[in-house]
Amino acid sequence: MHHKAKLLIFIVVLMLGTGLAAQDMAEPQYAGLDMDLSGINIRMANIGGGTYEAMYESIPIFEEATGATVEIVALLDGFAIDQKLKVDFATGAADYDVAWDHTSFMAQYTDFLLPLNDHFSEEELAAFSPAILDAATVDGNLYLIPRHADISPIHYRLDLYESEEIAAEYLAATGEELTVPTTLEEIDRQARFFVENGHSTFGYTLAGREEALTGRFYEMHFASGGSLFNENWEPTFNDEIGVAVAELLRGWYRDGIIPVDTTDRLWDGVAQYFCNNDTAIKLEWYGWYAWFQDPANCAVNNNFGLARGFTGLSVGGDAVRPSGWAGAHAFSIPATAPNPGAGAQLIKFLSSERVAYEEAQLGYLPVRDDVWERIIADAGTARNPLDRERLVLAQLQVSQDFKTPPLIAEWIPFSNIFYPHMQAILLGDVSAQEGLDQAAAETRELMADAGYYG
Amino acid sequence: MKPGEVVQRRRPNQRLLNFLAWLILLLMALPAFWIVLTAFRPNSEINSWPPVWVPQEITLDAFATMFGLNPEERMRVPVESYMRNSLLAAGISTVVAVSIGTLAGYAFARFRFRFQTAAFLGIMLSRAIPGVALSLPLFILFNQMRLVNNFFGLAAVYIAMNIPFSTWLMDGFFRQIPQDLSEAAYIDGCDYWSAFWRVELPLALPGFATAAIFAFLAAWNEFQIVSVLSRSAASRTFPPGLFDFTEQFTFDWRGMAAMSAIMMIPAIIFVILVQRNLVSGMTFGATKG
Amino acid sequence: MRLQTRVQSGSDIQERRVTDGRISARWFPFFMLLPAILFILVIMLFPLVYSFYVSLTPYELLKPNSLQFELSRALRNYQTLFAESIFWKSVGNTIVFLFLSINLSYVIALSLSQLLARVTRGQGIMRTLLMVPMMFAPILVGFQFRWFFNANVGLVNNLLYSLGLMQERGQIAWLVVEPLGMFSIIVASIWMNLPVLTIILLAGTLSLPQETFEAADVDGANSWQQFRFITFPLLAPFSYIALTILSLDISRAFDIVRIMTDGGPAHRTELNWTYVTRLAIDNTKFGLGSAMSWVTVVLAVVFTLYFFRQLVRSRVVQ
Repeated sequence: MHHKAKLLIFIVVLMLGTGLAAQDMAEPQYAGLDMDLSGINIRMANIGGGTYEAMYESIPIFEEATGATVEIVALLDGFAIDQKLKVDFATGAADYDVAWDHTSFMAQYTDFLLPLNDHFSEEELAAFSPAILDAATVDGNLYLIPRHADISPIHYRLDLYESEEIAAEYLAATGEELTVPTTLEEIDRQARFFVENGHSTFGYTLAGREEALTGRFYEMHFASGGSLFNENWEPTFNDEIGVAVAELLRGWYRDGIIPVDTTDRLWDGVAQYFCNNDTAIKLEWYGWYAWFQDPANCAVNNNFGLARGFTGLSVGGDAVRPSGWAGAHAFSIPATAPNPGAGAQLIKFLSSERVAYEEAQLGYLPVRDDVWERIIADAGTARNPLDRERLVLAQLQVSQDFKTPPLIAEWIPFSNIFYPHMQAILLGDVSAQEGLDQAAAETRELMADAGYYG
Repeated sequence: MKPGEVVQRRRPNQRLLNFLAWLILLLMALPAFWIVLTAFRPNSEINSWPPVWVPQEITLDAFATMFGLNPEERMRVPVESYMRNSLLAAGISTVVAVSIGTLAGYAFARFRFRFQTAAFLGIMLSRAIPGVALSLPLFILFNQMRLVNNFFGLAAVYIAMNIPFSTWLMDGFFRQIPQDLSEAAYIDGCDYWSAFWRVELPLALPGFATAAIFAFLAAWNEFQIVSVLSRSAASRTFPPGLFDFTEQFTFDWRGMAAMSAIMMIPAIIFVILVQRNLVSGMTFGATKG
Repeated sequence: MRLQTRVQSGSDIQERRVTDGRISARWFPFFMLLPAILFILVIMLFPLVYSFYVSLTPYELLKPNSLQFELSRALRNYQTLFAESIFWKSVGNTIVFLFLSINLSYVIALSLSQLLARVTRGQGIMRTLLMVPMMFAPILVGFQFRWFFNANVGLVNNLLYSLGLMQERGQIAWLVVEPLGMFSIIVASIWMNLPVLTIILLAGTLSLPQETFEAADVDGANSWQQFRFITFPLLAPFSYIALTILSLDISRAFDIVRIMTDGGPAHRTELNWTYVTRLAIDNTKFGLGSAMSWVTVVLAVVFTLYFFRQLVRSRVVQ
């Protein structure tokens, strides 16, 4: 299954050339409205929150056109919905027609999901990134319809990088020009410099819990040339590279480069730090763009720039590569759905060109080619140059740096083993080597129990 | 001063004592005050730095959003449904649990029978079982009996959960009622049931009220069981509903405060109605019998 | 053991009523107990027996075929559990949590009840204020104190800053730093425990016989001596009632902990209850989680039983 991860590299964006030329594009269209669903109550378990709201606001249009009613049975964060789905699937209680899904989570659920091939035509599927669909296909069965893609560029504060005084100070202190960082070691030097000289409360931030922490470690590790597992699925993250990354994070925590409550924070919490101008540098998902740029929410609006993900620590030698932990949010239909047909219609609507386009305007990376064409055309007339630059950057990252974690059912169980150990390292409870070795030993047990070693 | 209160004995610093008591209790109540205040403040003030202690602006925005009256935010929280479910689940389970507990408490207080101690301990200890140990097996069993997302399923659990404590309280209450009354009733020809029903039960009604407070609040505030057994928005009660304000990207503390304020109203009314009985009812027969 | 405190006239009633044609004294109490016992058997015992069965299997939530009992492997989950350092850490944390939370709650409630018993004005309002924490769902207490102890925007750090005790924003991560994490959840649980404890101890204090105090006054005993040698011993049954109730209800603190720290970071605040969900749901090892939940049940029952015994003993002495 691992080869599919690599296939994801070839995503949507490559075929965009023509889009820029298109002039009077037709209005983007809704889909899934062509069926009479009167009297049907479609139930959906999904994640909630500000950036998903545009999607929920479009639902009345679907209800009006089809006669169906849509009931949201759960609005939780990604990890809480994962817990709910597991229990519901296990007990056959998943009595809803549409469920949230994610490329990193999907492999756990496939036994309990409905293959979607019968509900979507070739033509409908052709709109989506073939690489993601391929990754979501097991034994010829397609299990999810993608919603948006996720990958993180470096976000950095302009007030720090455009100040001549700070640049001079940095030059004097380090003998180097202050430029937007491209390597993890540069980030380390600059982040420390900003904090030690009082230019920024924190130098860097990252989420410190759950799969968010596991994923950020994974990303730094592979960017430094490492791999979590070898070809026999034996854990290898406790190698020299893994220890170096863990030491780096531990040092940041010890020296106050990252916030003291890092291990208590998830996505929203760390994004808040950047929003408040409290962080110099961080990796962040593209989807946050509109929120960061909104003066009503964030002090950092119009005060940040974006750059390609960092390459890792030099301990990795020639194997270093740009960071790009990636995946896609998606929709699935549980095998026990009472109205799978109606659920499929709702998914068609929510992933339609029009709805996807409206969300892409908030900053999400679309997974449909037609939507990419539109937002690139829009960006041509945008007032803020960053609106355009970010799309070019996103294309680059998605086409060259897109790297999903192993798409195996054990990814989340592995993460649940791994992240408390990583927290312990961060907090200084154990040494980096010790913590990673323990995590590796437990991971080996997990993989053995799951039958990976024959 | 009411009879039964401690007689004042040479206390020159009475004022200091009163003041100290007020101070401590106000401090204890501070979180509730803070929640209500938060619900009425604009978000900018809640998150501001440096902190703003004295409210500069009062707004009903959070309530408007919750009830779907805010044109800018279309997401709304089904407060009415939470209120209905909470009231029904807590109300019905309280009446049933305290009634059953009254019967059981009477049996323990007035009779001696085989396995009495074992039965009493068994009933009491069932209360010690953590909800987390109970909720998932219950869910798996209820799921097969089609009792998930079902009001009766939830109420049944709350009844079972509240029986032990009600039994204990009522047992103490009945033991404080003089024995002579029921014996007089037997001489007048009453059987056990009518002696209980006509003579002793009316005297134990204050105890019933005390037990009802505890049962009601326990059910009203329960989270672990309902979060597992009620998996749809339509069957949820207030406590799991609080999670509507913690979503993937934002933590809407103000919205949660607004709903908490609404959630506390029935509990406050209920406690004020019965609080007169509360202290006197909490002796569990420790001094008599 | 409760028999000593039971009314003595039951047997008299029995003698008098044996000839009654209806339900006899022998059956009447069982008839009265039947609904209670039925409910508890069906709702409490049945799921527990099921979860015990599951704890003897390697059941994993997303692998339905793994729910299979094999005698030779029946105790494997328990062996796995006892071999894990996190298990012992969670047991240790739970003991620390229970010990501190219960003892401190008791001491504070006892002091508060003595104070309230002596208040001359506004007792009614004070009792209402005292009950405020009772209105809070434990889950809300969790959210509330998570907010209070938030490093960046929390009430506690804001207060420290405004009082000039903290120089910069967000310096103390209450929920992360050891041992502040345990401290924070203990503070929250004490706040939640206080009303019931205080009410019971207050009820007890107010029901004590006045003559004893008057005699002590005459003998010239000071307040502390009166408390130490009269009030406190006489309050013993009430104290044990209060502690028993607390031990019955203490697992509600799970809601608080799950919101405030969820056992983290790095298992620093892991308690038995949080560990059950971590194993059974997060890691989908439902068999192992059920074993953990059984360990938790046994500990809870033993714990409560201890207080019950003390309660009975204190009554017998009286």
